[in-house]
Amino acid sequence: MTTELDQREDGELIGIILKAAHCRDFETMARTATEVSEMTRNWATHIPWDDLASLEGADDELAQVVADLTEMWEPAHLRNPVDPDEEYALDKNAYDFYRPAGRNLLTRTGDFYGWVQARRRTETWQYSRVLEAAPDSVAQITNDLGRRARGINFNSQDYLSFNTHPAIREAAAKAMHDYGPHSAGSPMVLGNTRISDDLEAALGDLVGLDHVTLFPTGWAAGFGAVVGLVRQSDHILIDRLAHSCLQQGARAATRNVVRYEHLNVEAVRRHLTQIRATDTRNGILVVTDGLFSVDADWPDLVTLQRVCREHDATLLVDVAHDLGSMGPGGTGVLGMQDLLGSVDIVMGAFSKTFCSNGGFVASHSPALKQYIKMFGGSHFFSNALSPVQTAVVREATRIIRSAEGDVLRARLFTAIHALRDELTGRGLTCMGEPSPIVPLLIGNEKLARTANRLLFDRGVLAFMVEFPVTPTGSSRFRLQVQAGHRPEEAREAARIIEGAIADSRAYLSSAFGSAPR
Amino acid sequence: MQLYDAIVIGARCSGASTALLLAQRGHRVLVVDRSSFPSDVISTHFLWPHGMSYLNRWGLLDEVLAVTPAHTTVEVVNDGISLTGSVPTELLREYFRDLHGDDSGVVQSYASVRRRVLDEILVGAAAKAGAEVRTNFTVRELIVENGQVVGVRGRAVDGELVEERARIVVGADGRNSFVARTLALPKYDERPRCTFAYWSYWSGFDLGPAQLHRRGRLACAVAPTNFDQNMVLVWGPSEWSREFRGDVPGNYQKALDFVSPELGDVVRSKGTREERIYGTLDQSAFLRPLHGPGWVLVGDAESAKDQCTAIGITHAFRDAELVSAALDRWLRGDASIDEAMTAYGDRRRSQNAAAYHDYVCTLAEMRPYRHDELQLFVALRGNQQETDRFIATHADVAPVSEFFQASNLFLLNDAAKESSADHAVFEDFAETSRSYQQNLFA
Repeated sequence: MTTELDQREDGELIGIILKAAHCRDFETMARTATEVSEMTRNWATHIPWDDLASLEGADDELAQVVADLTEMWEPAHLRNPVDPDEEYALDKNAYDFYRPAGRNLLTRTGDFYGWVQARRRTETWQYSRVLEAAPDSVAQITNDLGRRARGINFNSQDYLSFNTHPAIREAAAKAMHDYGPHSAGSPMVLGNTRISDDLEAALGDLVGLDHVTLFPTGWAAGFGAVVGLVRQSDHILIDRLAHSCLQQGARAATRNVVRYEHLNVEAVRRHLTQIRATDTRNGILVVTDGLFSVDADWPDLVTLQRVCREHDATLLVDVAHDLGSMGPGGTGVLGMQDLLGSVDIVMGAFSKTFCSNGGFVASHSPALKQYIKMFGGSHFFSNALSPVQTAVVREATRIIRSAEGDVLRARLFTAIHALRDELTGRGLTCMGEPSPIVPLLIGNEKLARTANRLLFDRGVLAFMVEFPVTPTGSSRFRLQVQAGHRPEEAREAARIIEGAIADSRAYLSSAFGSAPR
Repeated sequence: MQLYDAIVIGARCSGASTALLLAQRGHRVLVVDRSSFPSDVISTHFLWPHGMSYLNRWGLLDEVLAVTPAHTTVEVVNDGISLTGSVPTELLREYFRDLHGDDSGVVQSYASVRRRVLDEILVGAAAKAGAEVRTNFTVRELIVENGQVVGVRGRAVDGELVEERARIVVGADGRNSFVARTLALPKYDERPRCTFAYWSYWSGFDLGPAQLHRRGRLACAVAPTNFDQNMVLVWGPSEWSREFRGDVPGNYQKALDFVSPELGDVVRSKGTREERIYGTLDQSAFLRPLHGPGWVLVGDAESAKDQCTAIGITHAFRDAELVSAALDRWLRGDASIDEAMTAYGDRRRSQNAAAYHDYVCTLAEMRPYRHDELQLFVALRGNQQETDRFIATHADVAPVSEFFQASNLFLLNDAAKESSADHAVFEDFAETSRSYQQNLFA
């Protein structure tokens, strides 16, 4: 055993063989090869270990052997030189900077900024592009480097194309004329107008719940509702993929948070049973979205609401993306599941279909309404929706409920189907169900960032989402369709997107598709 | 001339098991290898629980366990922050249901099986199942007719040149695949930054379950293996390999002492090295095309990765089961070859597979852990369920993206029950982190 231990290491032997090959000393090559361990010989079976001496004269074969041995002997990582900026920009993700180290809060943000700048320089930073004109089905934008592009616009959440609707613009102008631009205070003080009261009534009618509270943003509505209702000793069960305002509300309200598997009602039932087995005193809030804005799917709300009632838990559903643009009469996922008026708490946002800012929380309880207004924080201590915003949302609600709303939704879904069919037909993976959000799965962040860079110049504006919006390794394009999109535009966009992905894949030499396992 | 359903080139983890599974389904299989068995091959031969589960599904686990120690918990220590856990059975079942449609044979244990043990069991099982096994057989040529691979020519044990034909040729011949090189298949998704790895076999101590330590840019692992020995492995960034190679035995011990002084001390004071130190630098990751006219690749031949997550054999088994199921459908006439191969390809090139490839390749760069990563390990210490899920993620049982998802990471951080105050690495983190950039062997 001891003599074996004195044997030279394989790497050293390969070094000797390579050196001998350089001098065409075939005898040394052959003699040294016999010392190479069985492990290495079995691993590199393509190298003719026994025949090294007979290589004499066979230059091709010798060159191949030298190349193969060199690869085993020398680290391979210097073979593919890359642009260090691009490598940095494509390799990292936002989580890499989530916990900065150091005691100085000002200086420790520098690393993150360096990464953002690298992504800007390499044109892979998808955020904060600037609009040059009112966004329609086509938009003109400028990126970080000041480069301008015009493209078919899947980057706006104006699902029913209200931004260019004459009645909406007229309503805005009239409110501007009547009240001026400022809401002049918190809704608890003097921020509301007659239009606000009308709007609350109209929204209550739309979702079938009597008591509605307006918030200055959708974020404020979600965060405020959760923080207002839930105490530290209460529990929250929240869908893993529920909107960030609800997740952060949950984190702020209590440490008793369970993030259940996306859409899994059985998991909710299990968690509720577990919690109720030990805690019969405190409240449980179950939180989910109507239409999930990154996966484009929705939960079985009928069962979810029933399960909640069985365990004395309260259900909150965020209908920000579906209300107005989907379902019978624009009632969204609630209407599709015949649940109008039957869900405990409904919240929504006006920043999508309703063509404005703001949000709301609705329920059957006047007490709950008054409580959230007082203790949610984001209602009491924020300035109210401006009269212009309020008027726009009121007019949008009216159109949504009218026959014209049905026409617009029909047009929207024609464009949605055209886009999904065309993408799927090209072998790409559209996630979720037909809805104004069409998530096109890409997966690898490098691929998505590179494709996003190419799309900028090719006439399609598509928002690429990655961590923290999606889990790492499942980035995607979130395409948001509008009623104003013609089916031909959707098909043209799909063709361009496919080309950009194919070119990016070639650029990165990637063999991975986006087929789900 | 005999016509086989399949000729499998390479009779180790992916080849022998593919041959075994095809033969069990009644197909005529020839499997050839240059070596004779038992024999070793460069490999750190770790089998995660799903790897063991495959052996169990094929009826071979008892034979392996008769001579090999197995455990269920594993200890992972990063910069002094220790986590102990196991891959949850529930996730293992889910893995098999997702990938293969049934979850029979799931076991939670892992083991480190010398290849001279494992490969012989696999080859023996393939032969017993009815596959024709020819060892000491060197393939010299692929026979290609009308653009289609139809067989092989090679030199048998007695030096005689022979020709064999089959409906499909399976390349199971490792990362340096003869089949791939002959067909001039390109490499995709190459990630050249990887680790150098050196290991040997030690007797004289028994530390129980496997341990995996990491500090700065270096790591080491000890796993109990056959013959009452331990495999003790050290690895680091390939940029440092040239200097490491200057004094392999000295630097091997130096790396152990740096990464885990306790382990270094056990090895020095109690251990007896039973074999030479083996090493490899050639570990850059890549993919190759999976299939083409008359041929299909399995195991390292189609997708090789760094050793740092010890997943190679387990993936070879997975591929063997996937490819044999696909080929079986085609050979029985239940699907066209294109349908069968596309189904195989979809599973092998799925979203989750891509994310895991990226995960391993990034780990293999051996960058020092960031502050937030170490904080995450601290956060996990008070949370066994998530620790187990992290280990399952590392072992490719649970999708990487489900663990590394914003809501999960933020929750873990928020709910951390343990403080980082107990861990020296946080003391002067910036300085420590800088010091890790220095090549220890220079």
